[in-house]
Amino acid sequence: MSRYLAVVVLVMLVLVGAMGLKNVVTAHSDGSPVMANGTGPVPNPPYMANGTGPVPNPPYRGNGTGPVPNPPYRANGTGPVPNPPYKVSGTGSIL
Amino acid sequence: MSRELDQGTKVGNVLGPTQFVIWCLGISLEATVVVCAILRGSFRRYIFLNLYMAATLLVEIGRFKILKHFGYSAPEFTYFYFYSDALLTILLYFALISLYTVVFDEMKAEKYVRFGAVLLLAGTSLFTYAVVHQSSAKILTHFVFELCQNLYFVGLVLTFVLWGAVLKLRETRTRVIQFVLSLGVYFSAFAVTYALRNLFPHFQTPYLAQAIGFFLPFAWVYTFWRVPEEARLAPSRVTVVPR
Repeated sequence: MSRYLAVVVLVMLVLVGAMGLKNVVTAHSDGSPVMANGTGPVPNPPYMANGTGPVPNPPYRGNGTGPVPNPPYRANGTGPVPNPPYKVSGTGSIL
Repeated sequence: MSRELDQGTKVGNVLGPTQFVIWCLGISLEATVVVCAILRGSFRRYIFLNLYMAATLLVEIGRFKILKHFGYSAPEFTYFYFYSDALLTILLYFALISLYTVVFDEMKAEKYVRFGAVLLLAGTSLFTYAVVHQSSAKILTHFVFELCQNLYFVGLVLTFVLWGAVLKLRETRTRVIQFVLSLGVYFSAFAVTYALRNLFPHFQTPYLAQAIGFFLPFAWVYTFWRVPEEARLAPSRVTVVPR
């Protein structure tokens, strides 16, 4: 029993460490994916790509084919930037 | 407006030649990993590593077909990309856990490793759900994306814990050491480039992420092809400080 409890403690430590590390690495994140399996080009996450509000042109349409494009809400212009779709009603932070 | 978007979509749907070449080379290397493992008789011994690489190969081919059919900026490609990426990340997680069972084999701790792996996966899923459940829409998609990211960082920490165990237990099997180190480099390189890109937005690395993705199959091909199963190393001799 104590070994299982030790495993539980280790699992909690790993989880806390991983989430802490994630917060450190993505502290100034723009929301783009951290990694990808394979070597193919990485698209924007779907919930960023398909909003219902007036979304400015994504940068990958104007600036070529970089593998990890910026999310739409930081793309172009100096006008007011709408909230990304997944932040409309929630308050939780993402990445 | 619609005409401009159509023009933009046309531009966005085209892959650059460099991306295309790196992608094709990566797919070839992933196929080479599986072929090398079969030829060296190590497919079943490292079954989860090989399953992960075979699944990556299939997914890459699927992505290529979908991208060719629908285009880079199409939602079909985006959804297929992230859902398949989540599956691949879960497979990579189990591949890493299989290395734990190899390292802890002599301690007869397999059931504890399995218990811990399932518990950690469940905990990560619960944590992810707790973060995204306030999303107004597309909660499943958001959950899949977040779970993929969280599992990536869990994998990063687990790899370093495993490396510590390799040193502590004086693991000498060269192949196991190579696999653990390659995963450590792979995870760390992505984390470092991502942090650098966010800290310095002008730090442009257009093809670096793809090049890092190239590293893992390359390291595994080298390990399967050039390192025999019987090869031994002693990393602890290098790192242990005499008291």
